[in-house]
Amino acid sequence: MAIQGKEGKILILATETCAYPGADSVGQAHSSYPTNTYILRVRSPVMFPEQFYLDCFAKGISGIIIMSCGEECPYEGAYHALAKRVDRVYQLMKAQELDIRRLRLTAICTVCNRAFLKEVNQMNEVVGELGPP
Amino acid sequence: MTDKKTDKETIPAKGKVGVYICYCGGNISDHVEVEKVRESMEKIPGVEVARTDMFMCSDPGQEMIMQDLKSGTVDRVVVASCAPSLHETTFRSAISRAGANPYIYEHANIREQVSWVHHGDQATDKAIRLVAAATAKAEGLKPLEPIRMEARQHVTVIGGGIAGLRTAKDLADCGVAVALIEKSPFLGGQIAQLERLAPTGDPAADIVTELAGEVLGDPGITVHTCSLVETFNGYVGNFTLGVKKRPPDTDCEKLSSLNPSGRTPGEFIPFKGFYPESVAARAEELSIETGVVVLATGFKSYTPRRGEYGYAEFPEVITLPELIRIMAENKTTDNCLEINGRQVRSMAMIHCVGSRQIPGIHPEDESGNFNEYCSRTCCSATLDTAGTIRQSYPGTRIFELYRDIRTYGRGQEELYEQAAKNKVVFLRFEADESPEVIRSNDHDDFPLRVKVKDVLTFGEEVEVPVDLVVLATGMEPNNVSELVDMMKLPVGPDRFLLEVHPKLRPVELPVGGILLAGTCQAPMDVGEACSAAAAAAVKAAVLLGRGYVELDPFVAEVDLEKCRGTGACVEACLNEGALNLVEMEVDGEMVQRAQVTSALCWGCGACVAVCSENAIDINGWTLKQYEAMVDIIVADEATA
Amino acid sequence: MDAILELDFDALIVGGGIAGLQAALDLADQDYQVAVVEKDTSIGGKMIRLSKVFPTLDCSSCITTPKMAAAAHHENITIFTYCDLKSLESEGLVLTASITQRPRYVNPDKCIGCRLCEYHCPVYVADKEEGGFSARKAAYIPFSNAIPQIALIDVENCMLCGKCAKVCPTQAVDYFQEPENFTIRAKTAVLATGFELTPVENKQQYGNGEIPNVITSLQMERLLAPHGPYNRVLRPSDGMEPDAVAFIQCAGSRDKSMGISYCSRVCCMYAIKQAMLLSGSLPLADITVYYMDIRAFGKGYEQFYQNAKAMGIEFVKGKVATIDAGANDSVTLRYEDQNGEGVTSANHDMVALSLGMIPGWNPEGTCPVSTAADRFIQTIRPKIAPTRTDMEGVFVAGAAAGPKDIVDTITEAGAAAMEAAKYMTAMETARKAVA
Repeated sequence: MAIQGKEGKILILATETCAYPGADSVGQAHSSYPTNTYILRVRSPVMFPEQFYLDCFAKGISGIIIMSCGEECPYEGAYHALAKRVDRVYQLMKAQELDIRRLRLTAICTVCNRAFLKEVNQMNEVVGELGPP
Repeated sequence: MTDKKTDKETIPAKGKVGVYICYCGGNISDHVEVEKVRESMEKIPGVEVARTDMFMCSDPGQEMIMQDLKSGTVDRVVVASCAPSLHETTFRSAISRAGANPYIYEHANIREQVSWVHHGDQATDKAIRLVAAATAKAEGLKPLEPIRMEARQHVTVIGGGIAGLRTAKDLADCGVAVALIEKSPFLGGQIAQLERLAPTGDPAADIVTELAGEVLGDPGITVHTCSLVETFNGYVGNFTLGVKKRPPDTDCEKLSSLNPSGRTPGEFIPFKGFYPESVAARAEELSIETGVVVLATGFKSYTPRRGEYGYAEFPEVITLPELIRIMAENKTTDNCLEINGRQVRSMAMIHCVGSRQIPGIHPEDESGNFNEYCSRTCCSATLDTAGTIRQSYPGTRIFELYRDIRTYGRGQEELYEQAAKNKVVFLRFEADESPEVIRSNDHDDFPLRVKVKDVLTFGEEVEVPVDLVVLATGMEPNNVSELVDMMKLPVGPDRFLLEVHPKLRPVELPVGGILLAGTCQAPMDVGEACSAAAAAAVKAAVLLGRGYVELDPFVAEVDLEKCRGTGACVEACLNEGALNLVEMEVDGEMVQRAQVTSALCWGCGACVAVCSENAIDINGWTLKQYEAMVDIIVADEATA
Repeated sequence: MDAILELDFDALIVGGGIAGLQAALDLADQDYQVAVVEKDTSIGGKMIRLSKVFPTLDCSSCITTPKMAAAAHHENITIFTYCDLKSLESEGLVLTASITQRPRYVNPDKCIGCRLCEYHCPVYVADKEEGGFSARKAAYIPFSNAIPQIALIDVENCMLCGKCAKVCPTQAVDYFQEPENFTIRAKTAVLATGFELTPVENKQQYGNGEIPNVITSLQMERLLAPHGPYNRVLRPSDGMEPDAVAFIQCAGSRDKSMGISYCSRVCCMYAIKQAMLLSGSLPLADITVYYMDIRAFGKGYEQFYQNAKAMGIEFVKGKVATIDAGANDSVTLRYEDQNGEGVTSANHDMVALSLGMIPGWNPEGTCPVSTAADRFIQTIRPKIAPTRTDMEGVFVAGAAAGPKDIVDTITEAGAAAMEAAKYMTAMETARKAVA
């Protein structure tokens, strides 16, 4: 049975060394999750400026999950820089009266199936509750 | 460095995209209407052809793509199939075989991330959107070339202990020229401080003599003793080291007896090492051009604090290395061991001195450090020494005070059994109830007493009268803070040098072309250090083997038309040296602009995020491409 | 009769576990042509079956799959899976290996790993890859991250219904496939034949592996794996969430009653790791480790051990003497408590035996390389060239030369590759000198 995605699209930025293969692992297990999720493979999410996130919301993306490698990040210092940037994005979101639950930074490993599903479902709940930005 | 940029004119910036969608024999097509996806793709301007196949990865499927490339129908390729980890390389190599640049390729994952997790109409809709997004990204792709840098066929090994010798000899055997730099006048490092190596019993002198002899006899290796690295520049394949060779300013007495009249070069001197050459009379400076640097800077034995188990307070308390040396230099055939002219009827050996320290229980050293790690070698060394003493001096009773006996390696458990068989008495203590070494009463026959709460007898308080206490001291990394600062080496919380990843890249550092060998990384025994050294050698051989180093082309590139020289990217860059501001002439004016050193760039994109002018991007993964993908994802109609 | 296929390589790697793969990569990256011969259906060895690895707690798959993929895609590496080494001998300066590839009953050149055969196969078999805790089909891809992704048919359990052949889109199913013999000739070889767990069947005092809810350490790995059989930790007999779990150290190591007197070197650390992961998934459970000596000797290991203690995992000094089935599927241990309680017994809901390592391969009758008293392959220069064997041109890496953790194995595999490369360089120099 298809799981109906709630209103609103979720963008997932998944690191090519950890979270993206993690999403593949969920597929190999044939687990289902909402279809309103769009996974983009990234080398490191540290490349996205604050404005990228705000633009995404402005364009109509309802939620963004940054699935990073966490402390296992292959680029030393990148996770730290990313975490700081996400904090700034939160400030900017607050200024624009965007609910900060729409943006989430997390770490997903290559076989973290449960964690992946949990994050996706949680965000789906959030965007379902909040509606479009 | 030949950082070739392909002529951007070869293919137009906006491409002719070919989209190839796979059925995967039903794996995709059971849930995604593949023909509907194809039809949608055909509507996208810029998509030249959209085709499907039962198995795109099969030879006929690949052939189809190659034909379209060869005929000039398409110049960008999107394959929508399984996860890129399975077949991205397959399709890139098909593109290469068709004579095109493999980086004009983008992958859409519609199996693991669509058909295996979604069903029904929504699966098809999502597939259409993801393939359309990939197509949008593909339009912005440009041909890329791997970054290729000439590499000098030369390795510099820093440290002339067993690990350094092993690395140097291995590389020379593979035809790589080697410079070996050692700060002392001797080769052999800490092994020269030993008599025999546990558990095999190999004489340390033989091992050092054999390997040092091979190194000195190899015309491909240049040995520099009494030398220190003072400057360091460059990047993988092209380093320059400034080395200062100078007459030794320490150990002068020892040296005057060696040089020029005493010993001859080419001899092993017990407890000093292998003496390879006359020491320099005057300082001399060298510049070494090299491709790879291997750090083999080794360890030093822990020196107990004054008063730690009575050390430096009672002359009857010595360290294990001190005991080994005294025993080697005063071999007797008595019933009892004799140390400093005194018979040892009873001795205690205390394990884990300067190792396995626990904050809150053990005191920190003067710099606030704890040695929380296990030093790995002391259990076997202690048991081996105890066994030797019990066999040669049956009149000497031995008590070993330990926390855990760690005879993990091949042949080590036997040392433990042997010691027990030889009636070594084992007393076990808890970390928070360390033994105490105290001076005996005047009328006592033994100078010292060791008090311990023995876990093996259910916590009974035991007092052992002894003539000698031996402390099984652990390892500490040699102080290489100058190299650490100069070469930006990462150091772990244990103060040993820190590899990139203990399993993925165990002998590498994040700085390309700098490798680790032996105990500068962690405590190891001789065999383990030689393994690590050989592993470092093989990495160096791989790096230099082709005469050039090839790196992924996914590095930052500056758009000089947009760059305003603010330097924000330089500040954000995570790998120092990868980005710099340089003076250049633009429109007849001298200005500052950002410049990427591709060899040092990780391609993480930390710079991209901070450029207010969008003047810097990662090749193959540009911000614009992501924005284009997001536009497709949010569009009312994916293919509108 | 067909002539036996003969293939020439520079280096032959026996075993496609992490040691073999690392050695293969380190040689192939120097442009040597390498053959990897693996007895199993997939490369990756024991490591790909683990959950997370100490002391970093990285997921094991994340570390293993990149090396597996790198080897599988490497232009200088050819991988032969499901193969038995019949003999490995040296003739002059050439090593000759006779190899038999067992039939998968699926043509590997045609199979595209689509798994349709698996979906349609009606036969369910206990899946050893999941510790026997879940089922697989009789036509199947070995496991999700196996390389190659080629199906095979388990003839022991296949009922020849023909469904797989019918649904296979590439006509890859071949019920009449025969074993295939071929010969590999190489200049040098690396033995990376790994280990097996000590067989618990031989330990009567521990119930010969027949007591319910007494599981092996590899079964515990599967229970803890993020993509494991139950998706959480449950005890096998009744699916209950265990409240008290024990780990028994030196089960099959340092144990003369089993003829294994050596230390297996990894069990302390993997038990500590499993205990930590367990306390993560069952925060309220009591976790006890029974041990003789904790051997946390590697880089970062002692700190890992101290963290486990700080997390509340209980460490009890004492060798467990006997294990028996207790009431309500519990497990009863008897041990001598060194803290003064004398012989004590304790009950746990589930018990994991921290089994040791025995050699994965006995060369006797196959290859003239010597083994030592511990039955692992003998090394002749353990101090300065730890990977040399007594057979010229043949080197050893990883647990084939005695129990070893992953870190030491990977390092040693690099060292073996170095020795092999040196050996080939010397051969080439000698050949040029003669010419």
